Amino acid sequence: MNKYKAAIADLPKIPTTFGQKFKRFIKRNWGGWAIMLPSLVLFAFFIWVPLIENISYSFFEIKRFERQSFVGFENYSRVFQDPAFGKAVLNTFLYAFWSIVIGFLLPLFLGLLLSETVHFKGFFRLGMYIPNIISGIAVVLMWSNILSGSSGSMINGFLSLFGAGPVTVLSNSKWVIPVIVLVMTWRGAGGTVLIYLSALQTVDSTLYEVAKLDGAGVFSRIKNVTLPSIRPTIRLLFLLQIISVFQVFYEPMVMTAGGPDNASISLMYLCYKYTFIDRDPGAGAAVGVMLALIIGALSILYFALSRRTKQ
Amino acid sequence: MKRKLLCIAIVLAIAAALLCACQPDNGKIKITVGFWPDNSQKSDIAMYEEWKAAFEADYPQYEIVAEPYQYSPETVAAKGNTGNLPTIFQTYFTEPAMLIEEGYIRDITEQVEELGWLDKIDDSMRAQLTVDGKLYGIPRDGYGMGLFINLEMLYSLGEIDKKPDGTYNLYDEQGKPLYPTTFQDITELSRKAVDQLSNTYGILILSANKQGGWQLANMGWNFGTDALEVQKNGKWTANLADDGMVQALTWIKELANEGLCYPGASLNYNDWPAKVGSSEVMMAFVGNDALASPITSYNFPKDDFAFVPMPTGDGVSRHALFGGTPYVFADNASDEQVEGALRFLKYIGRSPETDDIAVAAMRKGFEVARQKGMPILPTIKAWKNEDYLTIANEMETSYINVNYEYFKDFFDTIYEMRHDEEPYYCQDLYGLLDNAIQNVLKDPAISNPLTALQTQNSQFQQRFLDKVK
Repeated sequence: MNKYKAAIADLPKIPTTFGQKFKRFIKRNWGGWAIMLPSLVLFAFFIWVPLIENISYSFFEIKRFERQSFVGFENYSRVFQDPAFGKAVLNTFLYAFWSIVIGFLLPLFLGLLLSETVHFKGFFRLGMYIPNIISGIAVVLMWSNILSGSSGSMINGFLSLFGAGPVTVLSNSKWVIPVIVLVMTWRGAGGTVLIYLSALQTVDSTLYEVAKLDGAGVFSRIKNVTLPSIRPTIRLLFLLQIISVFQVFYEPMVMTAGGPDNASISLMYLCYKYTFIDRDPGAGAAVGVMLALIIGALSILYFALSRRTKQ
Repeated sequence: MKRKLLCIAIVLAIAAALLCACQPDNGKIKITVGFWPDNSQKSDIAMYEEWKAAFEADYPQYEIVAEPYQYSPETVAAKGNTGNLPTIFQTYFTEPAMLIEEGYIRDITEQVEELGWLDKIDDSMRAQLTVDGKLYGIPRDGYGMGLFINLEMLYSLGEIDKKPDGTYNLYDEQGKPLYPTTFQDITELSRKAVDQLSNTYGILILSANKQGGWQLANMGWNFGTDALEVQKNGKWTANLADDGMVQALTWIKELANEGLCYPGASLNYNDWPAKVGSSEVMMAFVGNDALASPITSYNFPKDDFAFVPMPTGDGVSRHALFGGTPYVFADNASDEQVEGALRFLKYIGRSPETDDIAVAAMRKGFEVARQKGMPILPTIKAWKNEDYLTIANEMETSYINVNYEYFKDFFDTIYEMRHDEEPYYCQDLYGLLDNAIQNVLKDPAISNPLTALQTQNSQFQQRFLDKVK
């Protein structure tokens, strides 16, 4: 009996409390944790602390980026009363809409074209990717000059050859957002095309052969073989596109300063404007929180929809 | 053992890196100078280095540290909140109230008084830099808004002729100006320019970066609005939708509707030298302190432009927005640093002093400007003491390198036309007026200037003026 008890006492203790369990967890994976530690510290410092601070700021009166007094939802209420906020929300959704129309379908189309290209594939791939490596500010400045409303601008010079124009697209409240999205697409499409291209190259070629034997044409093959095969990539890029477009910032800032009359202002730019131009970090933080909630809600909605589609 | 050695080596490497980043402390009082020229301005840097050496030789307890900082309302918060503002830096006359409220700058009354400079500051500038009886800045110079005109274009349109010596004649036989003196004149001249000159617009109307609002405020005054902020029963009230302002905005609307002004609803002050310098635009409203830009940056001929007083809108009101550049001092600057920085101003020719050092510095500034090919024009002085004014004016006259006749009317009238900027949240006011201009420019045919101004008026009242106690 005593022998039996001694044997049990020699067995490693089963952790019962949280502290013990945590200790064992760390001990078991200490090598992995040691490798991750610098990244975790940096991640916490640069992402989580500012994120939590921002939420906290949105409920306080802020002076010199320090909390003065708790004001509840006053910052939110002030933001809601500002007509620029309504415009920024609407515009941000318009950016998302146009980026789906222009910026989401175009790279897919280009990716399909490129995958079918036989000659000069590398040349086209490089050509499409080059705008990606140009500085974003340089791109928007270049396009601002091209699209300038003056009669001597490139676009108006070109239009005048056909007796048309001059056009002032960046001062036109109806055109300004699609035009900015077009510029964003010009710069960003190349990268997305390459991702599509890599996904397209993983499609099993026997599926195409079978489809061909079944008499499927090009469009039928794309519809029934290609698109279903790369659906996870399309879904991921769609979500990333929405999230990145909701954070559109420097393009309207540089090209139009959010104008004309806030016609191109985005939520991110409004957040910057409150914080650094109007010196109202509380209101800026409130916009940041609302933007995060919108993106979070859209992500949840998207995942819910895609789960239902799968089922 | 190996692991321990590795840890020690890493710690030593980090410590060495940190030590390398530290500058040895020489025990001197450091003055960081924010208005130091940036790297592209080689001749200016050489001049400042010379001034720094002279100052440090006379005051060995100080060390001048260059820290070029181009002030903007957007960047000051980031620098101010982190305690990184230079000891002394430049700002605008509209800014001190905000900078004091945010705690970015400090009171310098005692130090300025000690130097005997307090009563030598121009009265209007001193008032703009004083809050609750305390002085928060030293004026560098002032500027007045006026109208820049391309004389070569004016001549091409047959509006002016040339004298036998080849210079332009800006006056008729009765001595009446041939340049535009009313907003209506500008419209008519713009119409001619668009009709007769290729790829040219009449005037540049700014609409972004608060600079559209800056111009519109002056236009509104000249259409009869007294002030954009008025005190009623002890409360400050926004007056942005006053009749004069509506007329001014209507004038812009009509220009845009006819295609007479340079197209675009996001033009800012950086655009004017480019558009004027490349002769895409014939006229622009600018400050007299910025006239060198098209010449130095775009090779615009310095003898081909005039700078004339702001036009009138209602035939009676004629004002020039009067602003300027003050030097202010970071909140965390010590008394010794402020004293040193103030004394350094003498070494760069920006003080009321008239001793050899100050005069030599002023002369050096003119010499460098001349070497750079800059147009040298009269300036609006920051100091009012007679000895300074005599020397400064004499020196200035001897260095003027443009045809003064093209600028005479502006400088002759600026002191009576000057109109100070609005007292509270002026930059925020300009930002909201930008929106009103953009509202009109985005669709001039159907826009309503009154509604556009009323919207911004209520915003300005709610978001800003209601905060004034």
